[in-house]
Amino acid sequence: MEPLIQVRDMCKVYNPGENEVHALDHINLTVQKGEFLAIIGQSGSGKSTLMNMLGCLDVPTSGEYHLNGSDVAAMNDNELSVIRNKEIGFIFQGFNLIPNLTALENVELPLIYRGIDRKTRKTLAVNSLRMVGLEKRMTHKPSEMSGGQQQRVAIARAIAAKPPVILADEPTGNLDSASSKEILQILKEMHRDGKTIILITHDDGIAAQARRVVRILDGRIESDVINPNFS
Amino acid sequence: MSNFIEYVKMAIHNIMANKGRSFLTMLGIIIGIASVIMIMSVGQGTTNQMNEEIDSAGAGQIQVMCSNDAMNAGEYITPEDMDALMDQIPGVEAVAPGSGWTGTTATGKGDFSISLTGATETQPLFSTTQIKRGHYFNAQDVEEARKVCVISDKDAKRLFGSDDVVGMDIDVEYNNISKSFTIVGVTQQPENGTFVTYTYEGMPVYIDVPYTALQEYDDSYNEFYYIVVLADREMDSSAVSDQVVKVLDARHQSAGEDYFQVQSFQDIMATLNTMMGAITGFISFVAGISLLVGGIGVMNIMLVSVTERTREIGIRKSLGAKTSSIMAQFLAESAILTVLGGFIGILLGLAGAYGICTILSSSQGMDLSPGFSIPMVLGATLFSCAVGIFFGIYPARKAARLSPIEALRRN
Repeated sequence: MEPLIQVRDMCKVYNPGENEVHALDHINLTVQKGEFLAIIGQSGSGKSTLMNMLGCLDVPTSGEYHLNGSDVAAMNDNELSVIRNKEIGFIFQGFNLIPNLTALENVELPLIYRGIDRKTRKTLAVNSLRMVGLEKRMTHKPSEMSGGQQQRVAIARAIAAKPPVILADEPTGNLDSASSKEILQILKEMHRDGKTIILITHDDGIAAQARRVVRILDGRIESDVINPNFS
Repeated sequence: MSNFIEYVKMAIHNIMANKGRSFLTMLGIIIGIASVIMIMSVGQGTTNQMNEEIDSAGAGQIQVMCSNDAMNAGEYITPEDMDALMDQIPGVEAVAPGSGWTGTTATGKGDFSISLTGATETQPLFSTTQIKRGHYFNAQDVEEARKVCVISDKDAKRLFGSDDVVGMDIDVEYNNISKSFTIVGVTQQPENGTFVTYTYEGMPVYIDVPYTALQEYDDSYNEFYYIVVLADREMDSSAVSDQVVKVLDARHQSAGEDYFQVQSFQDIMATLNTMMGAITGFISFVAGISLLVGGIGVMNIMLVSVTERTREIGIRKSLGAKTSSIMAQFLAESAILTVLGGFIGILLGLAGAYGICTILSSSQGMDLSPGFSIPMVLGATLFSCAVGIFFGIYPARKAARLSPIEALRRN
């Protein structure tokens, strides 16, 4: 079976010419469907750049990126938008909810851009809010919720459109330890349900929760190991 | 495209979430549209009123003048010419000689200047004035140059303190000659109009007398450099004008000499309407500038909004919003703001026009009502919509072209 994510010789160079910065230096990475993968690295290691590439927020300077059969490296802006909408669910460190929309409206957003009709949209959004245990908070605005709850709304938003890949960028970075545990628990459940999860973090403790750990240093993959303690 | 409705909904949502700012943004458009509508409808109302008054005072009238060349050659319009015009041109209902002058009279109420209009028995056809007492002088009075006159009830009251004056005499002095005219009829002075039939304090007393009776003051009574022809109101007065010139040229053997010049009432109306249109147009143009400023205000606020919502735009893009989706959302926002502003502006403008007309009517004794036309309102709506879209494009493009990474990075 074709892997879900296939990255070959991916490079990203900022400021080409003088003061070149090689943020990614010939990265090779293959992710199968259903994997729970942590990408770990210190700030400046290139992990954020890799996450932007994997999330189709940016295109590499050179190299190949195949996501679920599509050649992302050659795509234009609009095609990238469509791919992000269809293939990827984002969970950000800062939650990134839209402040003047309710929880339900936030979860509905990717479904609107997918062009799903109002009724189906609502059902899907309510279902995914129920999955993260927020069925009673649907009409609340982000400012009326705790950090943990906001991140759960963000997770509901990420899974609402049922994308094959969930990309979580430091999802617990802004949360207390209790909420962090909760969020990681949800991610694990999602993995058990068959979702492919890529977790980006600088924290070894968080990375240890994943089944496979990829360590990035200076734009290169330093190690790529299966977590023996994964449960 | 069903998604378009979603973008409009997002726009409305955002406008409602920032009510105060949205209103301030609209204010420029509201003021701009309101002033244009107000000026246009007051202008239209004034034009309508003027046309109506002029129409009742002079529809169908054609003024005929002798040119300088004609007068130098000793050619004037004679009473016989006037008869010929009546007889030979179908549609000519009456011809009035342009003769008259202002003399003085003294009564028990004081000294007055008195303006005599040399007329024929057909004079009442020229206006809608009604006879109140007695009758207008007849053809025989004109033929025999009887010294009779017709006066308005208002002027009669000024001279004698009563309008029951049929049979009384008025002594008129002019050219050091004093003659006495017997009043045979009293007309009803029409209600004050605003522009044309306007009266004022101290204006002379007007009386109509048979033009032949003026002979005793001045020999030139049977030569006129100016007459007025009354054509059937239903007829094309420029066609009648052409025939008038033809008949006069034939009688004076002056074809090609340009002796007789005509100006039909239609020409005057057209000139007047063009003038009013130009004035209204110019003021509207000035008001339109404020609309432009309003549009720039919308652009300015939308630009601020784009900067403020950079992060939101980044989130939307990361969730799959295309450049066109963001563009549509922001364009919809500025279009809704301006159209809504335009709508409020139209209502305020019409209310303002109504207010101005009411105030002018009551304080200046005018009779004005605002003119209102569907094309005007439609035009204003379309224009404000165009302003919104035009001034919305730049901010919307700026928003839509943000790179999602850049946008997400910003706080």
